[in-house]
Amino acid sequence: MDLLPSAEQRELTSAAAEFFAEQIPVSTIRERRDEPTAIAAKLWTAGAELGLLGLSAPEEVGGSGRDLPDEALLFREVGRALVPGPFVTTVLGARLAASTGNHELATNIVEGRCAVAAGLLNAARLSPEQLTGRVRVVDPGGTGYVLVVGTDGAGLVETAALADVRPLESIDPGSRLADATADDTPVTCWVAASDDPIRLRGAVLTAAQLVGIAEATRDLATEHAKTRVQFGRPIGVHQAVKHRCADMAVNADAALQQTLFAAVCLATGRADATFQVLAAKVVAGRAAIDNAAECIQIHGGMGYTYEHDAHLYLKRAHVLDQLFGSRTDHLTPLLAEAAAQ
Amino acid sequence: MDLDFTPEQQLFRDEVRTWLAEHAPTEPRPHDAGAMREYDLAWQRAQWEGGWAGIAWPKEYGGSGLSTVQQLIWYEEYARAGLPAIDACFVGLNHAGPTLIAKAGEEQKSFHLPRILRGEVVWCQGFSEPEAGSDLAALSTRGEIDGDELVVTGQKIWTSFAHIADYQELLVRTDREGSKHHGITWVIADMRSPGIDVRPIETIDGGAEFCEVFYDNVRIPLSNVVGRRDDGWRVAMSTLSFERGTAYTASQVRLSKVVENLIQLARERTGPNGRPMITDDEVARRLATARAEVASLRAMTYAGICRNLQSATPGPEGSMLKLYYSDIAKRVARLAMDVLGPEGLHFVTRWVPGGWSGNYFYSFSASIGGGTSEIQRNIIGERVLGLPR
Repeated sequence: MDLLPSAEQRELTSAAAEFFAEQIPVSTIRERRDEPTAIAAKLWTAGAELGLLGLSAPEEVGGSGRDLPDEALLFREVGRALVPGPFVTTVLGARLAASTGNHELATNIVEGRCAVAAGLLNAARLSPEQLTGRVRVVDPGGTGYVLVVGTDGAGLVETAALADVRPLESIDPGSRLADATADDTPVTCWVAASDDPIRLRGAVLTAAQLVGIAEATRDLATEHAKTRVQFGRPIGVHQAVKHRCADMAVNADAALQQTLFAAVCLATGRADATFQVLAAKVVAGRAAIDNAAECIQIHGGMGYTYEHDAHLYLKRAHVLDQLFGSRTDHLTPLLAEAAAQ
Repeated sequence: MDLDFTPEQQLFRDEVRTWLAEHAPTEPRPHDAGAMREYDLAWQRAQWEGGWAGIAWPKEYGGSGLSTVQQLIWYEEYARAGLPAIDACFVGLNHAGPTLIAKAGEEQKSFHLPRILRGEVVWCQGFSEPEAGSDLAALSTRGEIDGDELVVTGQKIWTSFAHIADYQELLVRTDREGSKHHGITWVIADMRSPGIDVRPIETIDGGAEFCEVFYDNVRIPLSNVVGRRDDGWRVAMSTLSFERGTAYTASQVRLSKVVENLIQLARERTGPNGRPMITDDEVARRLATARAEVASLRAMTYAGICRNLQSATPGPEGSMLKLYYSDIAKRVARLAMDVLGPEGLHFVTRWVPGGWSGNYFYSFSASIGGGTSEIQRNIIGERVLGLPR
């Protein structure tokens, strides 16, 4: 039993973290506020060249064939650096394409030539063959496909095949949003949940991003509490502030450990993997939203400004909370699961 | 990263499960102090005889010299079997024992450690005083040196099981000069020494193990001092780190079982509308949240054990576990009261199956004992996050 990241894993993630810090600082979200995509095309390509999109994809499509826990650790860094763009859905899209034998598409995705957006289905009807109904799409800009996930399985629909596309203002300046209509739109690369639990994989990777947000906001708030002086002393000496930071640390650690635990369970096919993944998404979603909200409070008036980063974490946390099942969505199925192993 | 147990560890688990099924006590734990002591010691002795005492303790003092992973497996199987903790042996096994292993001299270790494991003695903790609670270093129980003895006068409070204990890990002030963290001495007190007066304190859960202890010129040999004289703060801190690091593993593991029992209760009990309580949306959501929380507590516990395998002394991260555990334990206990409805008005001690009401009041101790949640938040803020004092 070993739940601590290995030296090799730490090396892998620190290289990614360095790239994000240098190339995609949080401030770029504000700079690209009015651009059609939240991440610049050249940075998407640069990320792909670094192998970020193919970490768990098979080697024959240009991936590195690594395990889900490795990928979860990478997405924790994506969340921590608040990197914009449809990374999780693109990575899963490559997986669907590769496992259905569409190696050309999988290679295109892994090499950064084709991104995959997230589709929130609401009442839309999804079958292994087609999709019908109104869909909400997260980060549609520049994507070739939209990932659509149901309880039975997951597949892709061509972004261009969606009609009546209406852009909406997103709560998150780092995400783009549109509503679109699918009318018997063909679904490709369908994989049944029993063959590959794409929805659960997505929940783990999104939980990992939420962990990163919980950690980043804990650190941002703590740093501010150390340096902001009022009444002649740093505000962090006061228990009202210190204890909030301590609770943020507990939230972040609980979310991190449960997400890694769930990643290992899903990767090894443990009988209680579903239970553990649902628990991870619930705990990580709450940790990220709670911590980001506290982070705004600890920053006081500054935290309420658009210019400060604090709100960007909160807004992304809400977007990620809705992907692959929200906290609210997961509670009923979690209670219906058999007890953890 | 993996959650795999080695074939050796799996074999160990099978053996534990089989042994517990055959040897666990079936009669309920008695209330009367003397009988409770005998019950707890007998069960500890049975574990010793079965070869299960001190799983992660060094072999030379009677332990099995195995790792904390095997210790975890034991706790998991123990919880799965629905067995209660051996409360009277808690301080000996989880505070005093580990402190002696880390800080005591050879003679002290070889005398006391096997007795603890064999279930021959009960230990209690003499740390808190009426004027030194969270501010433990403000303690003022005096220890005057007289020849080769320490003469102790003062008072301790919140001492669980003092009335049935043989020994006490006792903190006394041996030097009143300088900083308050200096001049404290950690000493082993024989509870049968003349001048010790123990008075029980009744608690809100109906428990009778809480005591205050008065010391009137109690003579303790200087050879009972653990670590250096006046350096007891450091010795005590190592105890508290153990307490927050690994001593709660059993309770953390047990909490998963408590939540599952509560879910079962909510399926069986009907609410005022004649339908099972679990069909109530609010109850269902709180139960599901509790499941998610205890799952993450368990993952944190596992990660903590992995960290402890790499470094022998637990770090301040133990405070995160302690804080999270006590928050969840209190929420779960309160949720049980809501699931029970009017049935919860009937007091049932936590020592019998269905003792939810007793457990509810007992749960208030989780965020007070072993350092309050406020103190844990200070420790996390200052020692984990580096916030200014």
